Amino acid sequence: MSPLRRLWNVLRRDRLDDELRQEVDTHLALIEEEERANGAGAQATRQARARFGSPLVHRERALDGVMAMSVENIWKEAGFAARRLVRSPAFSVAAVLTLALAIGANAAIFAVVQRVLLNPLPYPDSDRLVDVDHGSQRLNLPSGLGITRGYYYQYLERSHTLDGIALYAAENATLTGDGEPERIRTTRATASLATVLRVGPAIGRWFSEDEGQPGGPQRVVLSHGLWIRRYGGDPGILGRTINLGGVSMDVIGVMPQGFAFPDPRVDVWTPQQITRSMGFGIWLYGAVARLRDGVTVADARTEMNTLIADITRAFPGDEFAAGNSAGIALFSTVRTLKEAMVGAVARALWILLVSVGLVLLVACANVANLFLVRSDARQREVAVRVALGAGRSGIARYFLAESVLLSVAGGALGLAIACGAVRLVVSAGPATLPRLAEIRVDGVAVAYTLLLSVVTAFVFGAIPLWRSIPLGPALNESGRGNTATRSRHHARRLLMGGQVALALTLLIASGLMVRSFQKMRDVDPGFNPDSVLTFRIGLPDRAYPTRAAAVAAHLAILDRLAALPGVVAVSASSGLPLGSGCMGNTLLVQNRPIPPGTTPPIARFCAVAGGYFEAMGMRLLGGRRITRDDVERSLPVVVVNEALAKRVFPNQNPLGQYVSSNAPPARAEGAPGPTPLEIVGVVSNTPSRSLAEPDAASQLYMPMSIAGGPGIPPTALLGPDVALMAFVVRSTTPPSALLPSVRGAVSLVDPKLALALVTTLQAMVDSASAQMAFTMVLLAVAAGVALMLGVIGIYGVMSYIVSQRTAEIGVRLALGAEPRSVAAMILRQGGAVAVAGAVVGLVAAFAGSRLIASLLFGISPHDPAVFAATTVLLLIVVALACWLPARSAARLSPVEALRAD
Amino acid sequence: MPKHNNDRLQGTLDLLVLKILDRSGAQHGYAIAQRIHQATSDSLRIEEGSLYPALQRMTHEKWLKAQWGTTDSGRKARFYTITAAGRRQLDEEERRWLTLTDAVNKALRFA
Repeated sequence: MSPLRRLWNVLRRDRLDDELRQEVDTHLALIEEEERANGAGAQATRQARARFGSPLVHRERALDGVMAMSVENIWKEAGFAARRLVRSPAFSVAAVLTLALAIGANAAIFAVVQRVLLNPLPYPDSDRLVDVDHGSQRLNLPSGLGITRGYYYQYLERSHTLDGIALYAAENATLTGDGEPERIRTTRATASLATVLRVGPAIGRWFSEDEGQPGGPQRVVLSHGLWIRRYGGDPGILGRTINLGGVSMDVIGVMPQGFAFPDPRVDVWTPQQITRSMGFGIWLYGAVARLRDGVTVADARTEMNTLIADITRAFPGDEFAAGNSAGIALFSTVRTLKEAMVGAVARALWILLVSVGLVLLVACANVANLFLVRSDARQREVAVRVALGAGRSGIARYFLAESVLLSVAGGALGLAIACGAVRLVVSAGPATLPRLAEIRVDGVAVAYTLLLSVVTAFVFGAIPLWRSIPLGPALNESGRGNTATRSRHHARRLLMGGQVALALTLLIASGLMVRSFQKMRDVDPGFNPDSVLTFRIGLPDRAYPTRAAAVAAHLAILDRLAALPGVVAVSASSGLPLGSGCMGNTLLVQNRPIPPGTTPPIARFCAVAGGYFEAMGMRLLGGRRITRDDVERSLPVVVVNEALAKRVFPNQNPLGQYVSSNAPPARAEGAPGPTPLEIVGVVSNTPSRSLAEPDAASQLYMPMSIAGGPGIPPTALLGPDVALMAFVVRSTTPPSALLPSVRGAVSLVDPKLALALVTTLQAMVDSASAQMAFTMVLLAVAAGVALMLGVIGIYGVMSYIVSQRTAEIGVRLALGAEPRSVAAMILRQGGAVAVAGAVVGLVAAFAGSRLIASLLFGISPHDPAVFAATTVLLLIVVALACWLPARSAARLSPVEALRAD
Repeated sequence: MPKHNNDRLQGTLDLLVLKILDRSGAQHGYAIAQRIHQATSDSLRIEEGSLYPALQRMTHEKWLKAQWGTTDSGRKARFYTITAAGRRQLDEEERRWLTLTDAVNKALRFA
């Protein structure tokens, strides 16, 4: 009878009793009738009572019989099991710790998976939200282009699949007043953002459509974090004015705590002031939309692709519109917002979950082995119970009570381990892990842990059970070890082989990750990241209204920095490797017309101060570098990277060629196009987005004095805005020690300037590989634990087999067997199982490593070196685990051995 | 909870009930008691009430199936039939019984 059914019986004891009473009454009445018919007369009732016995006693007995294994008895059984476990503390502690480790790891990774991947985004009906993104075949960009104003209006006006779309763009700005100037992350968004996300401010209101029109009033909505941090949670915040980037803005609202769109670092939202008449525009924005009910993502994608093909009709005569649809083979990559946010890490997290699941299997095998040993020792006890009439279910209860107790204890301890581990992940996890702040061990994770514990109990509890319930009378299995234990040895070898296979699979996976990580760290970044402090300074337009003023301020700061003790080299660039700040645009080569229907090459335009390549440690491959003189004289020169030189000037000398950014079609009639720039040098490639880039992006560097900036019309599109520059300071002193004097030097130029994103180049390189490091470390830990548990298990099995065969070994030794050959026999046995397990593990890893191929870098998922090295490592460790018991077998004294049994 | 005082007697009662139900089809408690008396020629007298703990237990072990019905005299009673599991149990118990009695007989003869 199932425990649930028993519980049910307890609850309905009253009903059962009523039924019994009815039955018993009938019986008594029938006896009475019989006695009366036999002439008992008035004695009939008394006779009936005498024949039947006490109805009350029998009823009670009947009910108790049914309840015999009821809830009270489950507790009793648990109590007995607990006492048995306490009597063998070594076994219990080993089992609980093994299970706690494995269940804890599973609970922790599950908590991460559940909060990051499974939990819906914190917006109402968030599964209807989509990220509206584009890709281009011609530009070799599978996704990530974002959206232009043109497509935003196209979808807004003509889409039937969308129930609202919002445009946004993240940027940085300096917040001044009320304390130190602070560089914060801001997001410009259309008024529709609040309705699309269905989240409004906690205090005040969101922007109106009017405030989203160009020339509309300057309003701002604060994040909850900024409101608390900078304004002390001031209840009168609404109506206060803050100064952002030199512009006064009225605070109209504060978003609720935890609102983090598009990312948790955003502190301020301002209206995106645009109109349709501003034209098609460039790929500056991101967009989020809500699907209409009943519409799938695929429907939306189909519709958007149709609307993309039709964009020239929506913006007739707009060259950008014409050039940014069919010409670059543009396609919609709309997908759910959640997928867009967490898609990149989903595979790594699922793989980690599978890995810790395998570790749990190894742990189960270990505990099952412990149980087998224990159940062997109690074989006779079980046999006696069976002989006394205990059914299979009674024996099952006897063992399962122990395994459930152990795994629940393991689960409770594991939960504590998981809480600690999750806290560690949140504090030390890579910043690239999305929704990091949302991770915690919640009710779902606790429920999962509980479920896992119970399932675990049945997995490792069932194996010895299946082996130890004798099918027939088992009392004949007496003292001496005999053939009946052979099947049990068989089960043990199976478990041991399984452990070897699982451990090897995990070892290979983590080996591949380790090699990938090494390869990534070995990637030549094209610059020297040692001992370089970097930070950004944004000059407010109000105080520095012209490009010349901005350049002069940067030069003044550079002079102050260069004079600091310990500083070797200083320079600045609009964008650093692995970061943003350079402007992507099409590139025109002088005297090289673009054939109609083709797209000019794309390059990243960076603006630099003199001495940038020296300060960064980038290698000069030809020509000359950009100097302070180029900057001061605003010479129209440019240095290109190797990738651009090879791509745009194959088999040609790039030096002396003239290039410019694509002429913007929107410029006034007759206005001069961008000045052609002479290529004067070629430098080494640097990674633009990630260390794992298969191809370096084409990049070119111009003196900052000829780039874009305050007072330079955006239609000139020369280069990036030089109001915001990233400074690099190479020093002989540690960068952190340099920081106070750097702050002092900057404030000597302008005390209102804030240092933003202060870090070192090394830290930027480290964080670029942080996600891989995270996956690698967790996988390596999982593999290490699996190997450790596996080895302990194998050692235990081999020792046990030796101890069981002591008598046999004694006989062999007494008959003259060499101790060496006895050791070799034991080793051979263990070795055969290990090799079989390793073969299974190799096959599993070979088939499964394809799953992690996308996480690897610079290495095949079937890398023979990794497969070979991990297999050898595993076999050595297993051989060691077998050798110790083998040695002790060889050292047995025949006399002692024979006496032992 | 009072345990069964005599496991052997308990097992014997189970055996008898199973055997009777196997022979005769659905029966209520009174009829089973009658048949035990008849079959053993009244030599095995049990308190008829002690049938009920056995019937309850065997029903929950799924050896018996119980269904409400009416007796010949129109009273409500529970009718028990033997299940397939009950038949297997019967075979097992019979075998054990024979082994035991055989062993005891031998012992008595040669002791």
